[in-house]
Amino acid sequence: MSAVYDLIRYAQLRHRAFTEVVDRLDDGKFHFSAKDNLCADGFQARAGSAVLDGYRPPFDATPIQKMKEVGGQLVGKTTMDEFGFGTFSTNSAHGVPLNPFDLERSCGGSSGGAGAAACLIPGHIALGVSTGGSISGPASFCGVVGLTPTYGRVSRHGLIDYGNSLDKVGLLARSASLIAKHFRTIAGPDPKDPTSCAQPALPEKGKMPRSLAVPKEALQNLDPAVRSSFHDALARFKDIGVEVREVSMPSLRFALPAYYILATSEASTNLARYCGMRFGRREEELNQHFNDFFTGVRSESFGDEAKRRILLGTFCRMVGFRSRYYLKSLAVRQLLIEDYRTIFRDHDAVVTPTMPFVAPRFEDISRMKPLEMYGADVLTVPPNLTGMPHVSLPCAYVQGLPVGMQLVADHWKELDLLEAALAWEKAFEYRFPEVSP
Amino acid sequence: MKIGLEMHFQLPTRSKLFCSCPTTSAEPNHNICPVCLGYPGSRPSLNRKALEAGLSIARFLDCTIEERVWFSRKTYFYPDLPKNFQITQYESPLGTNGHFDLNGRRIGIWRVHLEEDPGRIKRVGRSGEEIAFVDYNRSGIPLVEIVTAPDLTSPEEARAFIDQLVIELRSLCGLEAQDEQTVRVDANISVGEERVEVKNVQGLRNLEKALKFEAIRQTKLLAAGKKVIRETRRFDEERKVTSSAREKETEEDYGYIGEPDLGEFRIGDMARNLDLKETPLARARRLVSSFGIGEATAKQLVLTSVTLTDLFEELCGHVPPEKAVSWTTGPISGNWAVLQDRARWSDIIQIVKDDAEGQITDNEAKRRILSLAGVQQEAAAEGGDDLAKLISDYVDAHPEVLADYRKNPKAANTVIGHVMKESKGRYSSKEVVEEVKKEMEKRV
Repeated sequence: MSAVYDLIRYAQLRHRAFTEVVDRLDDGKFHFSAKDNLCADGFQARAGSAVLDGYRPPFDATPIQKMKEVGGQLVGKTTMDEFGFGTFSTNSAHGVPLNPFDLERSCGGSSGGAGAAACLIPGHIALGVSTGGSISGPASFCGVVGLTPTYGRVSRHGLIDYGNSLDKVGLLARSASLIAKHFRTIAGPDPKDPTSCAQPALPEKGKMPRSLAVPKEALQNLDPAVRSSFHDALARFKDIGVEVREVSMPSLRFALPAYYILATSEASTNLARYCGMRFGRREEELNQHFNDFFTGVRSESFGDEAKRRILLGTFCRMVGFRSRYYLKSLAVRQLLIEDYRTIFRDHDAVVTPTMPFVAPRFEDISRMKPLEMYGADVLTVPPNLTGMPHVSLPCAYVQGLPVGMQLVADHWKELDLLEAALAWEKAFEYRFPEVSP
Repeated sequence: MKIGLEMHFQLPTRSKLFCSCPTTSAEPNHNICPVCLGYPGSRPSLNRKALEAGLSIARFLDCTIEERVWFSRKTYFYPDLPKNFQITQYESPLGTNGHFDLNGRRIGIWRVHLEEDPGRIKRVGRSGEEIAFVDYNRSGIPLVEIVTAPDLTSPEEARAFIDQLVIELRSLCGLEAQDEQTVRVDANISVGEERVEVKNVQGLRNLEKALKFEAIRQTKLLAAGKKVIRETRRFDEERKVTSSAREKETEEDYGYIGEPDLGEFRIGDMARNLDLKETPLARARRLVSSFGIGEATAKQLVLTSVTLTDLFEELCGHVPPEKAVSWTTGPISGNWAVLQDRARWSDIIQIVKDDAEGQITDNEAKRRILSLAGVQQEAAAEGGDDLAKLISDYVDAHPEVLADYRKNPKAANTVIGHVMKESKGRYSSKEVVEEVKKEMEKRV
């Protein structure tokens, strides 16, 4: 077996990065993986949920199909929080991925397996999906580069939905150059996803951002080590000729509640179809009222966090609450887009730390309340809510653990972010854990 | 009495509303795909033809049409609904605030919107041991829902409303011929203050029966000093009664949210640029007002044939309308199979014109028309005598008809039918009817 295959097995067995892997690697192809909520022929697609146990989709998701067309081999499906519901990949029915830098810590979520695979396997490209920060988060905790494209840039055909107005397929890998290459592959309009058909064409080359804005509201409640390493990173940006300015963006504080309302509202309708009738897990006892049948399957198969989000989302959609929560959140999203646009008149990108802390220990996570967990998304949610492209880059190491920073650009300007990432990589050397399979 | 209707018609598209599955009939669960089965990862894309048909209807009903529309998810759990939500239009219908003129009365149209049909459940086996089968061929079939104001005043009027609406929509966008049977209606009916909703009635005949039953039931309750309870009721087609569906009194909470996978559609230009055909009943109204012909005649014309009406209108450019009526509903319609060929129309117009100007006799004109249609000349030349002979021969050969006629004058229809058939359109129906009546009366 090849060294790469050994690394894939190592990532699967030791770090639980994969739910399934292929038996062998094909000659002459490059290896890539897909988060388990992306459908692929030949694999189960379970999206981290027991309700989809046994589901084998009859088609490839468009991004997977495009990667295959340019010579890629899908080598495995990566572990994730159930339907993407989580920040630490601990809400998974098919194994919790373990951090490449420290097995007792989280990979982040919900594309935790993708983060671990991207870190552990050199040259590997991992397809991830972000709804509220599920690419940036794992990229930050696993010390890799994570690109979340503009909403509508990459087809969602074949993506198992969390929040359709928020979901974005993106990439995680050890370097920005690897991501730049494959981003072109998966981007572009697809008639099977009408929301991908409104995008402008990708330019030949991005424009290196010359001016970065740092919203002061984003620097509250940070772990002190993260704060100081972020300031070091800003200094390094200045060294390479990039202007850095502090700005104010008071609307940022509305992003988190608006996001959780919209995401759970949409999720609660998306998850309605999982009732044990047409795909995935089946209930044995057919001789019962459909309501009891559906309730039985759903009660048994969904995890706690999925149930929590179904309840939250259903509540927000109900008559009387709908305008107070759901419709108001739609307005907040517009407000935030306008505020970002105002900043982009004078600056090329907004930069913040990616996560307020480094990868936490599982024992600390187990003591966190749901609201504290949601709060960890405070920096990744704003660009996700507004559908703006963002990239997370390793920017420091604190006690051997990576710290991530996140750059956000205006809609459709992914290539500008990648220019910044490439420039950053020349000024800052990434570290990866020693792996001996 | 106030009646408001929510009607669902299938739009005549070749593929489904959000996927490319065919809409034709097939073995159960053959016209299905990941989209209309709601498989994870599949997503809808809107059928443009369905949007056009829906917009035609909204414009025809004179609705206000917004520049942008979007779709919504209506969430409820049911085995025939693959996603357990239906994609429909809630805040943003295709059209609002329109109207339809029913025999001179204006019936308000509240809204017109598109939605997908669920699958179909079939129950087999003895009661108590039934097995339910679900056929998803119907899942995703495009429907247009049309909601009226409670402006209808009787079950008969409700039926006439749908009847006439279907005539118009069939011509407008090609609704299927069986729509009188397949239309699905939810009807709100109130005799007094409180309204009752009768849900899911299929077909015109059932609708009229359900409404009649409900009108009588409510009237009796009120007469007995009891109250009508606001509720949803179902119509039992077998027993022809409505019964309480035992649902909540308030509207169900469907938790509507926007359908993010479809986005917004700018429909303003599309709606404005649609070329709406003139519908039959609207045309009949125009014929009445432009040419002063009778309403019944105008309706008869437009419902017989669009092209016959075209010829009628052309004739009106040359001869007085009453002449055009008698020729088009008479000898011309009798031989329409041949005469509908537009190449013959200039000759027809010339003949009718010559007749109207008195240059030839009526009989000569008729002979020429029939000759144009290729009908045997000698038979036609015999004129009135031949008609009388046809009738008397038939009545001689069928004495029982005369006996029937004594009991019921409608028995004459047998003779009329026979003579119309035998004479192959040489005589107008009016002539035949008069002649047969004369003969029968003579013999009685």
